[in-house]
Amino acid sequence: MTHPLEARVAAYIAGRMPLAEGVVEVSGLERISGGASRETYRFVARWNEGGYARERRMILRRDPPASLIDTERRVEFEAYRAFHGSAVPVPQMLWLEESPEALGHPFFIAEELAGFEASPQTLFAGGYDAVLPQVAERKWTILGEIAKADPIALGLDKVMAPPPLTSCWSRELDHWEALIDKDQAEPLPITRAAIRWLRAHPPPPAQKLSVVHGDFRTGNFLYDAAGEIHGVLDWEMAHLGDPLEDLAWSLQPIWTFGRGLAGGLVSQAEAAAIWARASGLAADPAALHWWILFNCVKGQGIWVGSAAAFNRGGNKAPIMVYPAWWLINAQDRAMLQVMGRL
Amino acid sequence: MNPKVPPVLYELAGLLMKNAAPDVPPPERASDLSLSALLLVVAAEMWDRGAAVLVEENRALRALLGEAGEDGDLRISALTVENERLRAGLIAAHAAAEAAGDTAREAAIWAELVASTERRRLSMAPV
Repeated sequence: MTHPLEARVAAYIAGRMPLAEGVVEVSGLERISGGASRETYRFVARWNEGGYARERRMILRRDPPASLIDTERRVEFEAYRAFHGSAVPVPQMLWLEESPEALGHPFFIAEELAGFEASPQTLFAGGYDAVLPQVAERKWTILGEIAKADPIALGLDKVMAPPPLTSCWSRELDHWEALIDKDQAEPLPITRAAIRWLRAHPPPPAQKLSVVHGDFRTGNFLYDAAGEIHGVLDWEMAHLGDPLEDLAWSLQPIWTFGRGLAGGLVSQAEAAAIWARASGLAADPAALHWWILFNCVKGQGIWVGSAAAFNRGGNKAPIMVYPAWWLINAQDRAMLQVMGRL
Repeated sequence: MNPKVPPVLYELAGLLMKNAAPDVPPPERASDLSLSALLLVVAAEMWDRGAAVLVEENRALRALLGEAGEDGDLRISALTVENERLRAGLIAAHAAAEAAGDTAREAAIWAELVASTERRRLSMAPV
Protein backbone atom coordinates (compact mmCIF):
# COMPACT_ATOMS: atom_id res chain seq x y z
CA MET A 1 0.00 0.00 0.00
CA THR A 2 1.47 3.36 -1.04
CA HIS A 3 1.20 6.21 1.45
CA PRO A 4 -0.21 9.40 -0.11
CA LEU A 5 2.75 11.43 1.19
CA GLU A 6 5.38 9.35 -0.64
CA ALA A 7 5.17 11.14 -3.99
CA ARG A 8 5.27 14.58 -2.34
CA VAL A 9 8.26 13.66 -0.18
CA ALA A 10 10.06 12.21 -3.21
CA ALA A 11 9.46 15.40 -5.19
CA TYR A 12 10.76 17.52 -2.33
CA ILE A 13 13.91 15.45 -1.85
CA ALA A 14 14.62 15.38 -5.59
CA GLY A 15 14.66 19.16 -5.53
CA ARG A 16 17.26 19.12 -2.74
CA MET A 17 19.64 16.58 -4.30
CA PRO A 18 21.29 18.13 -7.37
CA LEU A 19 23.64 15.13 -7.74
CA ALA A 20 20.79 12.62 -7.97
CA GLU A 21 20.34 11.27 -11.48
CA GLY A 22 16.81 10.63 -12.69
CA VAL A 23 14.01 10.14 -10.22
CA VAL A 24 14.23 9.86 -6.44
CA GLU A 25 12.05 7.04 -5.14
CA VAL A 26 10.44 7.09 -1.71
CA SER A 27 8.91 3.89 -0.36
CA GLY A 28 7.80 2.27 2.89
CA LEU A 29 6.62 5.57 4.33
CA GLU A 30 4.82 4.87 7.59
CA ARG A 31 3.87 6.88 10.62
CA ILE A 32 5.69 6.02 13.82
CA SER A 33 3.47 5.61 16.89
CA GLY A 34 3.41 8.44 19.45
CA GLY A 35 4.69 11.89 18.57
CA ALA A 36 2.26 14.31 20.18
CA SER A 37 4.21 17.40 19.21
CA ARG A 38 5.26 16.41 15.68
CA GLU A 39 4.02 13.78 13.24
CA THR A 40 6.94 11.40 12.73
CA TYR A 41 7.29 9.10 9.70
CA ARG A 42 10.02 6.74 8.53
CA PHE A 43 10.76 5.94 4.89
CA VAL A 44 13.47 4.78 2.50
CA ALA A 45 14.81 7.02 -0.26
CA ARG A 46 16.50 5.48 -3.34
CA TRP A 47 18.32 7.31 -6.11
CA ASN A 48 21.26 7.02 -8.50
CA GLU A 49 24.36 9.13 -8.06
CA GLY A 50 27.68 8.93 -9.92
CA GLY A 51 26.43 5.85 -11.68
CA TYR A 52 25.70 3.98 -8.43
CA ALA A 53 22.40 3.09 -6.83
CA ARG A 54 22.06 4.74 -3.39
CA GLU A 55 19.65 4.06 -0.55
CA ARG A 56 19.12 5.82 2.77
CA ARG A 57 16.60 5.41 5.59
CA MET A 58 15.16 8.74 6.65
CA ILE A 59 12.80 10.31 9.18
CA LEU A 60 10.23 13.01 8.43
CA ARG A 61 9.11 15.20 11.33
CA ARG A 62 6.10 17.30 10.32
CA ASP A 63 4.15 19.83 12.39
CA PRO A 64 0.63 18.65 13.23
CA PRO A 65 -2.45 20.92 12.98
CA ALA A 66 -2.19 21.64 16.73
CA SER A 67 0.41 20.37 19.11
CA LEU A 68 0.91 19.25 22.68
CA ILE A 69 3.65 21.88 22.80
CA ASP A 70 4.06 24.73 20.34
CA THR A 71 7.70 25.03 19.35
CA GLU A 72 9.81 26.27 16.49
CA ARG A 73 11.05 23.43 14.34
CA ARG A 74 14.14 25.51 13.45
CA VAL A 75 15.20 25.44 17.11
CA GLU A 76 14.90 21.66 17.19
CA PHE A 77 16.69 21.30 13.84
CA GLU A 78 19.61 23.52 14.91
CA ALA A 79 19.93 21.78 18.27
CA TYR A 80 20.34 18.42 16.54
CA ARG A 81 22.76 19.94 14.07
CA ALA A 82 24.88 21.54 16.79
CA PHE A 83 25.52 18.21 18.53
CA HIS A 84 25.95 16.00 15.48
CA GLY A 85 29.40 14.34 15.55
CA SER A 86 29.94 15.20 19.25
CA ALA A 87 29.88 13.09 22.42
CA VAL A 88 26.10 13.55 22.34
CA PRO A 89 24.80 11.05 19.76
CA VAL A 90 22.10 12.48 17.49
CA PRO A 91 20.88 11.72 13.98
CA GLN A 92 22.15 13.84 11.12
CA MET A 93 19.77 16.56 10.00
CA LEU A 94 19.27 16.76 6.24
CA TRP A 95 16.69 19.40 5.28
CA LEU A 96 14.52 21.93 7.09
CA GLU A 97 11.42 23.27 5.35
CA GLU A 98 9.56 26.07 7.11
CA SER A 99 7.06 26.72 4.34
CA PRO A 100 3.81 24.70 4.33
CA GLU A 101 3.82 24.42 0.53
CA ALA A 102 5.56 21.08 0.06
CA LEU A 103 3.76 18.92 2.65
CA GLY A 104 0.99 21.09 4.06
CA HIS A 105 2.91 21.94 7.24
CA PRO A 106 6.53 22.81 8.08
CA PHE A 107 8.81 19.80 8.54
CA PHE A 108 12.36 18.53 8.59
CA ILE A 109 14.00 15.38 7.29
CA ALA A 110 16.81 13.55 9.07
CA GLU A 111 18.68 10.27 8.76
CA GLU A 112 17.04 7.35 10.55
CA LEU A 113 19.09 5.62 13.24
CA ALA A 114 17.63 2.20 12.57
CA GLY A 115 17.81 -1.01 14.57
CA PHE A 116 17.52 0.41 18.07
CA GLU A 117 14.77 0.62 20.69
CA ALA A 118 13.27 3.72 22.30
CA SER A 119 10.32 2.31 24.26
CA PRO A 120 10.49 2.46 28.09
CA GLN A 121 8.03 -0.46 28.22
CA THR A 122 10.48 -2.63 26.26
CA LEU A 123 13.41 -1.45 28.37
CA PHE A 124 11.63 -2.42 31.59
CA ALA A 125 10.02 -5.66 30.38
CA GLY A 126 12.83 -7.80 31.82
CA GLY A 127 15.02 -8.51 28.81
CA TYR A 128 17.27 -5.53 29.48
CA ASP A 129 17.60 -5.85 33.26
CA ALA A 130 21.27 -6.82 33.08
CA VAL A 131 22.20 -3.67 31.15
CA LEU A 132 20.05 -1.11 32.98
CA PRO A 133 23.07 0.17 34.98
CA GLN A 134 24.93 0.69 31.69
CA VAL A 135 21.93 2.54 30.22
CA ALA A 136 21.89 4.76 33.31
CA GLU A 137 25.62 5.44 33.06
CA ARG A 138 25.32 6.42 29.41
CA LYS A 139 22.08 8.36 29.89
CA TRP A 140 23.35 10.73 32.56
CA THR A 141 26.86 10.91 31.07
CA ILE A 142 25.34 12.16 27.82
CA LEU A 143 23.17 14.62 29.73
CA GLY A 144 26.36 15.79 31.49
CA GLU A 145 27.96 16.32 28.08
CA ILE A 146 25.01 18.46 27.00
CA ALA A 147 25.34 20.50 30.20
CA LYS A 148 29.11 20.89 29.71
CA ALA A 149 28.84 22.14 26.13
CA ASP A 150 29.28 25.84 25.37
CA PRO A 151 26.10 27.03 23.64
CA ILE A 152 27.81 30.14 22.26
CA ALA A 153 30.61 28.08 20.68
CA LEU A 154 27.90 25.84 19.17
CA GLY A 155 26.23 28.92 17.68
CA LEU A 156 22.94 28.14 19.39
CA ASP A 157 22.59 31.64 20.84
CA LYS A 158 21.57 32.65 17.30
CA VAL A 159 18.35 30.60 17.50
CA MET A 160 17.80 30.41 21.28
CA ALA A 161 17.68 33.52 23.49
CA PRO A 162 20.36 33.38 26.23
CA PRO A 163 18.92 34.47 29.61
CA PRO A 164 21.07 36.07 32.36
CA LEU A 165 22.32 33.43 34.81
CA THR A 166 20.30 35.10 37.57
CA SER A 167 16.99 34.76 35.78
CA CYS A 168 17.08 31.34 34.12
CA TRP A 169 14.59 30.17 36.74
CA SER A 170 12.16 33.06 36.46
CA ARG A 171 12.08 32.99 32.67
CA GLU A 172 11.13 29.33 32.68
CA LEU A 173 8.63 29.64 35.52
CA ASP A 174 6.99 32.68 33.89
CA HIS A 175 6.76 30.79 30.61
CA TRP A 176 5.12 27.67 32.02
CA GLU A 177 2.82 29.51 34.41
CA ALA A 178 1.56 31.60 31.48
CA LEU A 179 0.88 28.43 29.48
CA ILE A 180 -1.02 26.89 32.40
CA ASP A 181 -3.05 30.12 32.76
CA LYS A 182 -3.92 29.88 29.07
CA ASP A 183 -4.57 26.15 28.81
CA GLN A 184 -6.02 24.90 32.09
CA ALA A 185 -9.59 23.65 31.75
CA GLU A 186 -10.09 23.22 35.49
CA PRO A 187 -8.55 24.72 38.65
CA LEU A 188 -5.23 23.14 39.68
CA PRO A 189 -4.82 23.78 43.44
CA ILE A 190 -1.66 21.68 43.87
CA THR A 191 0.07 23.19 40.86
CA ARG A 192 -0.83 26.70 42.07
CA ALA A 193 0.56 25.93 45.53
CA ALA A 194 3.78 24.65 43.94
CA ILE A 195 4.11 27.82 41.85
CA ARG A 196 3.66 30.00 44.95
CA TRP A 197 6.37 28.00 46.74
CA LEU A 198 8.75 28.24 43.79
CA ARG A 199 8.37 32.02 43.61
CA ALA A 200 8.88 32.38 47.37
CA HIS A 201 12.06 30.23 47.36
CA PRO A 202 14.06 31.04 44.18
CA PRO A 203 17.16 28.94 43.40
CA PRO A 204 20.70 30.33 43.18
CA PRO A 205 21.91 31.68 39.81
CA ALA A 206 22.89 29.08 37.23
CA GLN A 207 26.51 27.85 37.44
CA LYS A 208 26.84 28.39 33.71
CA LEU A 209 24.71 28.91 30.66
CA SER A 210 23.94 25.53 29.10
CA VAL A 211 21.97 23.99 26.33
CA VAL A 212 18.86 22.52 27.94
CA HIS A 213 17.43 19.62 25.96
CA GLY A 214 14.08 20.18 27.63
CA ASP A 215 12.73 16.61 27.45
CA PHE A 216 15.68 14.37 28.33
CA ARG A 217 14.08 11.26 29.78
CA THR A 218 13.79 7.53 29.33
CA GLY A 219 11.79 7.16 26.12
CA ASN A 220 13.61 9.92 24.26
CA PHE A 221 16.82 8.05 23.45
CA LEU A 222 17.68 5.02 21.31
CA TYR A 223 19.32 2.10 23.11
CA ASP A 224 20.63 -1.35 22.18
CA ALA A 225 20.91 -4.74 23.88
CA ALA A 226 24.33 -3.85 25.33
CA GLY A 227 22.93 -0.77 27.06
CA GLU A 228 24.63 1.68 24.70
CA ILE A 229 22.74 4.83 23.68
CA HIS A 230 22.87 5.65 19.97
CA GLY A 231 20.70 8.72 19.64
CA VAL A 232 19.11 11.44 21.76
CA LEU A 233 15.79 12.48 20.24
CA ASP A 234 12.96 15.01 20.65
CA TRP A 235 14.82 18.30 21.03
CA GLU A 236 11.71 20.39 20.34
CA MET A 237 11.80 22.03 23.78
CA ALA A 238 15.53 22.82 23.63
CA HIS A 239 16.57 26.22 24.95
CA LEU A 240 19.41 27.89 26.83
CA GLY A 241 19.33 28.00 30.61
CA ASP A 242 20.37 26.43 33.89
CA PRO A 243 21.93 22.96 33.41
CA LEU A 244 20.16 21.74 36.56
CA GLU A 245 16.85 22.17 34.74
CA ASP A 246 17.62 19.23 32.44
CA LEU A 247 18.94 17.03 35.23
CA ALA A 248 15.84 17.77 37.28
CA TRP A 249 13.47 16.91 34.40
CA SER A 250 15.15 13.51 34.13
CA LEU A 251 14.61 13.03 37.87
CA GLN A 252 11.02 14.20 38.24
CA PRO A 253 8.83 11.40 39.66
CA ILE A 254 6.62 11.03 36.56
CA TRP A 255 9.59 9.45 34.78
CA THR A 256 10.11 6.71 37.35
CA PHE A 257 7.66 4.56 35.36
CA GLY A 258 6.28 3.22 38.62
CA ARG A 259 9.65 1.65 39.53
CA GLY A 260 10.64 4.14 42.24
CA LEU A 261 13.96 4.89 40.51
CA ALA A 262 15.17 7.92 38.57
CA GLY A 263 14.18 7.30 34.96
CA GLY A 264 13.21 3.80 36.14
CA LEU A 265 16.95 3.02 36.22
CA VAL A 266 18.94 4.01 39.33
CA SER A 267 18.54 6.05 42.51
CA GLN A 268 18.34 9.81 42.20
CA ALA A 269 21.68 10.15 44.03
CA GLU A 270 23.41 7.78 41.58
CA ALA A 271 21.97 9.60 38.57
CA ALA A 272 23.05 13.00 39.90
CA ALA A 273 26.55 11.66 40.66
CA ILE A 274 26.99 10.34 37.09
CA TRP A 275 25.82 13.68 35.72
CA ALA A 276 28.17 15.63 38.00
CA ARG A 277 31.16 13.50 36.97
CA ALA A 278 30.43 13.95 33.28
CA SER A 279 29.56 17.64 33.37
CA GLY A 280 32.08 18.82 35.96
CA LEU A 281 29.19 20.75 37.51
CA ALA A 282 27.69 20.57 40.99
CA ALA A 283 24.20 19.23 41.65
CA ASP A 284 23.46 21.31 44.76
CA PRO A 285 20.63 19.44 46.55
CA ALA A 286 18.57 22.54 47.40
CA ALA A 287 18.83 23.97 43.89
CA LEU A 288 18.09 20.57 42.39
CA HIS A 289 14.99 20.26 44.59
CA TRP A 290 13.74 23.62 43.28
CA TRP A 291 14.27 22.51 39.70
CA ILE A 292 12.58 19.13 40.24
CA LEU A 293 9.48 20.85 41.61
CA PHE A 294 9.63 23.34 38.75
CA ASN A 295 9.72 20.44 36.32
CA CYS A 296 6.61 18.99 37.93
CA VAL A 297 4.89 22.30 37.12
CA LYS A 298 6.30 22.20 33.60
CA GLY A 299 5.02 18.65 33.20
CA GLN A 300 1.56 19.77 34.28
CA GLY A 301 1.80 22.57 31.73
CA ILE A 302 2.45 20.02 29.00
CA TRP A 303 -0.37 17.68 30.06
CA VAL A 304 -3.00 20.44 30.32
CA GLY A 305 -1.66 21.81 27.03
CA SER A 306 -2.36 18.51 25.31
CA ALA A 307 -5.90 18.51 26.74
CA ALA A 308 -6.35 22.11 25.56
CA ALA A 309 -5.33 21.18 22.00
CA PHE A 310 -8.07 18.52 22.05
CA ASN A 311 -10.67 20.73 23.76
CA ARG A 312 -10.15 23.57 21.27
CA GLY A 313 -10.57 21.17 18.37
CA GLY A 314 -7.15 21.81 16.89
CA ASN A 315 -6.03 18.21 17.28
CA LYS A 316 -8.50 15.44 18.15
CA ALA A 317 -5.99 12.60 17.99
CA PRO A 318 -6.07 10.15 20.94
CA ILE A 319 -2.41 10.93 21.66
CA MET A 320 -3.58 14.37 22.83
CA VAL A 321 -5.94 12.83 25.40
CA TYR A 322 -3.75 10.06 26.74
CA PRO A 323 -1.10 12.20 28.51
CA ALA A 324 -3.83 14.34 30.09
CA TRP A 325 -5.92 11.44 31.39
CA TRP A 326 -2.93 9.37 32.45
CA LEU A 327 -0.70 12.04 33.93
CA ILE A 328 -2.52 15.12 35.30
CA ASN A 329 -3.40 13.47 38.61
CA ALA A 330 -0.10 11.55 38.68
CA GLN A 331 1.73 14.85 38.19
CA ASP A 332 -0.21 16.31 41.14
CA ARG A 333 0.93 13.35 43.22
CA ALA A 334 4.51 13.87 42.03
CA MET A 335 4.32 17.49 43.22
CA LEU A 336 3.00 16.35 46.61
CA GLN A 337 5.91 13.88 46.85
CA VAL A 338 8.51 16.51 46.01
CA MET A 339 6.98 18.99 48.47
CA GLY A 340 7.07 16.33 51.18
CA ARG A 341 3.26 16.14 51.45
CA LEU A 342 2.83 12.53 50.28
CA MET B 1 -11.24 14.43 33.90
CA ASN B 2 -9.78 16.75 31.33
CA PRO B 3 -10.70 16.45 28.46
CA LYS B 4 -14.24 15.48 29.45
CA VAL B 5 -15.17 11.86 28.79
CA PRO B 6 -18.18 12.29 26.39
CA PRO B 7 -16.34 14.25 23.65
CA VAL B 8 -13.45 11.79 23.86
CA LEU B 9 -15.79 8.82 23.43
CA TYR B 10 -17.47 10.51 20.45
CA GLU B 11 -14.02 11.05 18.93
CA LEU B 12 -13.01 7.43 19.53
CA ALA B 13 -16.22 6.25 17.89
CA GLY B 14 -15.34 8.27 14.79
CA LEU B 15 -11.81 6.94 14.85
CA LEU B 16 -13.04 3.33 15.02
CA MET B 17 -15.31 3.97 12.04
CA LYS B 18 -12.41 5.48 10.10
CA ASN B 19 -10.21 2.49 10.87
CA ALA B 20 -12.89 0.08 9.70
CA ALA B 21 -12.07 1.21 6.16
CA PRO B 22 -9.64 -1.09 4.32
CA ASP B 23 -7.25 1.59 3.06
CA VAL B 24 -5.86 2.86 6.39
CA PRO B 25 -2.07 2.26 6.54
CA PRO B 26 -1.50 -0.58 9.06
CA PRO B 27 0.98 1.34 11.31
CA GLU B 28 -1.50 4.24 11.63
CA ARG B 29 -4.35 1.82 12.31
CA ALA B 30 -2.23 0.09 14.98
CA SER B 31 -1.38 3.41 16.64
CA ASP B 32 -4.98 4.68 16.55
CA LEU B 33 -6.46 1.45 17.89
CA SER B 34 -3.92 0.81 20.63
CA LEU B 35 -4.23 4.36 21.97
CA SER B 36 -8.02 4.16 21.71
CA ALA B 37 -7.95 0.94 23.71
CA LEU B 38 -5.88 2.58 26.46
CA LEU B 39 -8.31 5.48 26.66
CA LEU B 40 -11.27 3.11 26.88
CA VAL B 41 -9.54 1.36 29.78
CA VAL B 42 -9.18 4.68 31.62
CA ALA B 43 -12.80 5.63 30.89
CA ALA B 44 -13.95 2.23 32.13
CA GLU B 45 -12.01 2.63 35.36
CA MET B 46 -13.54 6.05 36.04
CA TRP B 47 -17.07 5.09 34.95
CA ASP B 48 -18.23 3.55 38.19
CA ARG B 49 -16.62 5.89 40.70
CA GLY B 50 -16.70 9.20 38.78
CA ALA B 51 -19.84 10.62 40.37
CA ALA B 52 -18.99 9.30 43.84
CA VAL B 53 -15.55 10.93 43.72
CA LEU B 54 -17.03 14.30 42.84
CA VAL B 55 -19.80 14.14 45.47
CA GLU B 56 -17.32 13.17 48.18
CA GLU B 57 -14.85 15.83 47.13
CA ASN B 58 -17.48 18.58 46.85
CA ARG B 59 -18.68 17.70 50.35
CA ALA B 60 -15.11 17.90 51.73
CA LEU B 61 -14.43 21.19 49.96
CA ARG B 62 -17.64 22.79 51.22
CA ALA B 63 -16.68 21.81 54.75
CA LEU B 64 -13.23 23.35 54.34
CA LEU B 65 -14.64 26.55 52.84
CA GLY B 66 -17.44 26.84 55.40
CA GLU B 67 -20.21 26.44 52.85
CA ALA B 68 -23.51 24.67 53.34
CA GLY B 69 -25.38 22.63 50.73
CA GLU B 70 -25.37 19.34 48.89
CA ASP B 71 -25.17 18.32 45.25
CA GLY B 72 -28.68 18.09 43.83
CA ASP B 73 -27.91 17.32 40.20
CA LEU B 74 -25.89 14.10 40.11
CA ARG B 75 -24.90 14.17 36.46
CA ILE B 76 -21.10 14.19 36.21
CA SER B 77 -21.21 17.35 34.10
CA ALA B 78 -23.14 19.22 36.83
CA LEU B 79 -20.98 17.82 39.63
CA THR B 80 -17.87 18.90 37.72
CA VAL B 81 -19.07 22.49 37.35
CA GLU B 82 -19.61 22.66 41.12
CA ASN B 83 -16.27 20.94 41.77
CA GLU B 84 -14.43 23.47 39.65
CA ARG B 85 -16.11 26.35 41.52
CA LEU B 86 -15.10 24.84 44.86
CA ARG B 87 -11.53 24.06 43.78
CA ALA B 88 -11.09 27.66 42.61
CA GLY B 89 -12.26 28.74 46.07
CA LEU B 90 -9.76 26.34 47.64
CA ILE B 91 -6.87 27.93 45.74
CA ALA B 92 -7.82 31.35 47.14
CA ALA B 93 -8.27 29.93 50.65
CA HIS B 94 -4.89 28.17 50.48
CA ALA B 95 -3.06 31.32 49.39
CA ALA B 96 -4.80 33.31 52.12
CA ALA B 97 -3.81 30.75 54.77
CA GLU B 98 -0.18 30.90 53.62
CA ALA B 99 -0.21 34.70 53.73
CA ALA B 100 -1.73 34.69 57.21
CA GLY B 101 0.67 32.03 58.51
CA ASP B 102 -2.33 29.90 59.51
CA THR B 103 -0.49 26.58 59.60
CA ALA B 104 -3.45 24.61 60.99
CA ARG B 105 -5.64 25.68 58.07
CA GLU B 106 -2.82 25.01 55.63
CA ALA B 107 -2.47 21.49 57.04
CA ALA B 108 -6.20 20.88 56.64
CA ILE B 109 -6.06 22.04 53.02
CA TRP B 110 -3.01 19.88 52.26
CA ALA B 111 -4.77 16.88 53.78
CA GLU B 112 -7.73 17.40 51.45
CA LEU B 113 -5.42 17.85 48.44
CA VAL B 114 -3.68 14.56 49.24
CA ALA B 115 -7.07 12.85 49.65
CA SER B 116 -8.21 14.37 46.36
CA THR B 117 -5.32 12.83 44.40
CA GLU B 118 -5.98 9.47 46.07
CA ARG B 119 -9.65 9.58 44.98
CA ARG B 120 -8.70 10.38 41.41
CA ARG B 121 -5.76 7.98 41.19
CA LEU B 122 -5.74 5.51 38.29
CA SER B 123 -4.59 1.95 38.85
CA MET B 124 -2.05 2.29 36.02
CA ALA B 125 -0.68 5.70 37.11
CA PRO B 126 3.11 5.98 37.44
CA VAL B 127 2.91 7.94 40.75
